[in-house]
Order: sequence, then structure tokens, then C-alpha cells
Amino acid sequence: MDVTLRFFATFRDAVGQKEVGREVDPGTTVGELLSALEREYDGLEGELLADGEIRSQLNVLANGRGVQYGDGVETELEDGDTVSVFPPVAGGASDAVVPNTDGQ
Amino acid sequence: MTDLRLSATQLERYSRHVIMDEVGPEGQARLLAGSVLVVGAGGLGSPVVQYLAAAGVGRLGIVDDDVVDRSNLQRQVIHADGDVGRPKVESAREFVDRLNPDVTVEPHELRLSADTIATLPDYDLVVDASDNFATRYLLNDYCALEGIPLVHGAIYRFEGQLTTFENDGDGPCYRCLFPEAPEPGTVPDCATTGVLGVLPGTVGCIQATEAVKLVLETGEPLTGRLLVYDAMDMRFDTVEVRQNPDCPLCGEEPTIESIHDVAYEGRCTLSAD
Repeated sequence: MDVTLRFFATFRDAVGQKEVGREVDPGTTVGELLSALEREYDGLEGELLADGEIRSQLNVLANGRGVQYGDGVETELEDGDTVSVFPPVAGGASDAVVPNTDGQ
Repeated sequence: MTDLRLSATQLERYSRHVIMDEVGPEGQARLLAGSVLVVGAGGLGSPVVQYLAAAGVGRLGIVDDDVVDRSNLQRQVIHADGDVGRPKVESAREFVDRLNPDVTVEPHELRLSADTIATLPDYDLVVDASDNFATRYLLNDYCALEGIPLVHGAIYRFEGQLTTFENDGDGPCYRCLFPEAPEPGTVPDCATTGVLGVLPGTVGCIQATEAVKLVLETGEPLTGRLLVYDAMDMRFDTVEVRQNPDCPLCGEEPTIESIHDVAYEGRCTLSAD
């Protein structure tokens, strides 16, 4: 069956794409999918799961609902599901945190 | 709640508000009697300050400890070339003074911390227009514990995230969505990654809209919803945000009972002591 993955912010950078389609076996769980993604993309290794659970610094949605409110990593995917993975972002005000590299 | 009468000048200035049933003279009087704390006078804070001042929100607190840098001017539209090197709160106050004499700006040139936040006067609501996780988690925890509505907005390159926490006792809060901050350095800031100049304009305008609605007590705030904006695809997605029973702040067995319990530099988790 087919699922669609959507990545936001830093995960988008790590994957190099906003949206990825994947074919998975029926009964595949969110945890199995995330684990496969970590193996597939170097930039995602260790970023999605910690001790088999979804890391607390990111949010994973299956069809717009946070999986942590349901069965978490055990959430079973269904054909046509969209899974969105996004981190918190902080930007907004100044940019004085990191000095400019041109010396000014 | 208020017997404030609008002057002839105010009736003219705010006529396009007053003419609408949803605002009317009572709503405008409510705005003039209202107070909002804007944390950050940068990319997000600029449009927030502009529109809240234009709307006649009577008391605007502005928190920022930074000075204007020339690289800010691509997006921080209340500051001008001649302001480079000046405190942002001063530049912001001058902007508002020129725009609307009905608005009193209270500049707070400081870095928010668990200690300094207690020194600020009370405001009806807070707009988070900051640029770092320490301030964001501090504001979330403080506003949730004190029951102060908080309008959240954040940006990254071409993306924005927005939501409103009414903090009326039912949750959710930011920690329901992201229980703790990423490790320092893992999520880059605007200086390292860049940001499309107009992006914070869009996000800040939505934050200002939420703030005005909250003061007016009208409409449906972004409560329980995270609005995710993708400027490149020009796409808005709405994501449900529910109160998390395991939330360390507003869950069933909270571990954070005071902002002094938390070490805000780093991952914003409980102090190790």
C-alpha cells in the first residue's frame, strides 16, 4: 500500500524533499516507517526515534492527527495515509545570536 | 467593562472598525483599554507592533534586549536605516509614537528570564515574537501557569508555525506539542539559514489578528490548531493540537509547577537539582 510522507523545516533539509511517496506492507506501523526513514536518510539517523519511541522534540502526524495522542509508534498505517514529520522552529526576531562571517 | 467614550478624532481614526457590528464603538473602546505584551521587536514583532498600534491597543509592552543591525532591515520593518545601532525598543517606540498618539508604549529593554519576567507589569495577553527556544518555553510555561493567553508564531526559512494558547485551564500548551526544546544548536536560527524577508510579515500579521480578536473576544482563535505556512508552495496546513495527558506542564501529573523549576538555557527541562 502507498503512504505519503511530508517533511517540514530541518527534516525537509535532511531529506532534500518536501514530500516523499513510499510503498509499505499492510500493517506497517508509524514506528517501523520512522525507523526505515532513519536508515534511508543519513540526516535523519537518530533524529526521529529514541529508545523505540518518537523523540519528544518532534511531532508526527498521521492524517493530521498527532500519533502520540493515539497508539504512538504502534499506530498502524492505512493505504493512502499522509504522515507529517516536523520539529519546533524558533526564529522570529533578531539574528544577533551568530555573528556574521564577513566580520561585520 | 469600560465607559470610555471615543473622541471625535478617535471616531474618525477608527471609523472602519466602529462601522462593523463585530467591533463597534464598544469594541474599539475595549481595544483602547486593552494591553498586549509583544516579546521581540524583530521580524515577527514589527508587524505585530504596527497593526496593534494602528488598531489602537492602548498599552503596548515591547520586550527586546537587542540593537538594530543593518541585516535586520530586510524584514524588521519598524526600524529604519538611521536606527542601526539603536535599541530596538526605542526605535519601536518612536514608530508607534509617530503612528498613533492613543497608544502608550512601555519599552522593556531586557532579556526575558524567570527573574526578569516577574518585574513586568500585567498585560491582557502576550504575543511571542521571540527568536529562541529559551524565551519560547519560558513564555509558554509562565503564561500557562498564570492563565494569560499567548499567541505563538515562529519562522524558519520559508515556513511559519502559528497557534494560540488561551490558557483558560483546558490546555493545550506548547509542551503538549513539543514537550522539550531541541538540543542547542540543532535547529539553526535566521543568521545561519536565512529567512525570506516577507515571511515574518505574513506570520506576524496573523499573530496581530489573533491578538485583536482575543482583546475583542470575538471570532475563533487558533486554539487547538497549529497553522503551518509554506511560503514557497503558498500552502497553509492546519494541524490539530490536543491537550497531552502526559504534558509536563498542563498534563494530569505535571512536573513543572513554577518557572523556577526549569533550566531555560538548553532543552528547557526540569532543573537537575
